[in-house]
Amino acid sequence: MAVIKVPKPPRSAFNKNRPVSALLKNQVLHLQQAEFRLPVRQQTNIYINKIRTEGEAAEYIERVTRELHPEGARRFDIAAMSERKSGGGTKAKTKPKRKSDANPNRKKS
Amino acid sequence: MPPGLDSLKHIVVLMMENRSFDHMLGALKAKDPRIDGLTGNESNLDITGAGVKVQPQAEFQSQLDPDPDHHFPAVDIQIFNGDNSANRVANMQGFVKSYFQQQHDVNHSRKIMYYFTPDKLPVLTTLATEFAVFNGWFGSIPGPTICNRAFAHYGTSFGQVSMDVFYVKEPYKSIYERMINANPAHTAKIYYFDQASSTMEIVNLLQHQPNLFGTYDQFLADCQSGTLPDYSFVEPNYNDHDGDSGAILASDQHPDHHVQAGELFIASVYNAIKQNSTLWRSTALLVVYDEHGGIYDHVPPPACTKDGFIAQPNDTGTGRAFEFDRLGVRVPAILVSPWIPKGTVVSGRTFEHASIPATVTKFFLGDYDQRSPREKSAETFLDLLSLPVMRTDGPEFQ
Repeated sequence: MAVIKVPKPPRSAFNKNRPVSALLKNQVLHLQQAEFRLPVRQQTNIYINKIRTEGEAAEYIERVTRELHPEGARRFDIAAMSERKSGGGTKAKTKPKRKSDANPNRKKS
Repeated sequence: MPPGLDSLKHIVVLMMENRSFDHMLGALKAKDPRIDGLTGNESNLDITGAGVKVQPQAEFQSQLDPDPDHHFPAVDIQIFNGDNSANRVANMQGFVKSYFQQQHDVNHSRKIMYYFTPDKLPVLTTLATEFAVFNGWFGSIPGPTICNRAFAHYGTSFGQVSMDVFYVKEPYKSIYERMINANPAHTAKIYYFDQASSTMEIVNLLQHQPNLFGTYDQFLADCQSGTLPDYSFVEPNYNDHDGDSGAILASDQHPDHHVQAGELFIASVYNAIKQNSTLWRSTALLVVYDEHGGIYDHVPPPACTKDGFIAQPNDTGTGRAFEFDRLGVRVPAILVSPWIPKGTVVSGRTFEHASIPATVTKFFLGDYDQRSPREKSAETFLDLLSLPVMRTDGPEFQ
């Protein structure tokens, strides 16, 4: 069975100050439409025209998504699951504090 | 029923961002002439009239910056080279011209013809040569992300050709709603990467039916625990942002995001399925790109069934109405399953994103009338799971 090494991008690839793309601008606009339908106290009061970078867009996207889909904050400890599974099998269990390292696009900064 | 279909319980779709077929997979033609990629002689004229051939010089990042225009008017130029006559012919000669309009830099405009060599994309090219690669999978609309992704979710964009906020019109339901409202009910989920990336295009579903959504961590957990739904749609990370444990790179491959981060993500989705042997034998994974992102491809998009909507000239920005009667530019698409013969090249058939809900509906729900004309006429792809015995030789990515 062929084992193929997958190269990782360099640290310099990360740039949360990259200017926000047309795609992200539109995603922000779509989320704002949804935000406006939320109860006032759940709205962010963020002026989206001031969003200039990917990092700023991500902050806004996260705040609105948190309101729309609070379940998305749930953490799954994939590594621990794997250990339990190899020891006799188990099912998914949440762990509130730490995100999994099994996710490939998380880089230690 | 073939044993592959008899075993099939899950369909997973991973939709990446903004890369054309030739840009990512075109070089595979040299390895397998059945793949409708590049000979090396394909070209456009630049703004000076000089020929610009395709070149194997694509880089992972910082090359296609600014993001090549892929809104409807720009794609119209790319496909028709600016010809607006009644009898115009799609010739794919306007890519360099279109990219020039963004910076007015002749040398920079030529980079739109660059493509990757297979060694630079070990995940995508390995999956393409190990399983099934589609020679004719096209965007649903010669336009941008939002309306193209809509076809994957609804089988139509409800007349939209732009990035505008999307309004769903009856009677067409999303594939997720069809699944969960069926009798007997099926299961379906959209896995977005994390809350800071969220979902693209289907914010309306996120607001009104949040139970349809999960995160990528949940996808990994569901794969491990064997609780993956019947149908899963996986979204990559759409932006660079800080996470709990450090910097998180965008993995969607949208220019100017690093292409290798997307390679890792595709490998992660594949590995998550493959590492659960029960899931591996019962799952078909489709890796597909939403649209070409303004990047060169040599195959003219074909005409297609009209969708029953008309986008007016003011909406298209071209001075012409659009009847949804032509597909968008070709994109990479690969179907992965241990029931697919190694090295399958799907030729002579035309697929588009409406093929996704068409396939899921046909397999799980059967007859379903309330679908767009485009979806009803779309090709489905599960016939590719044709082997009588399951393969045991799939690659592993580390």
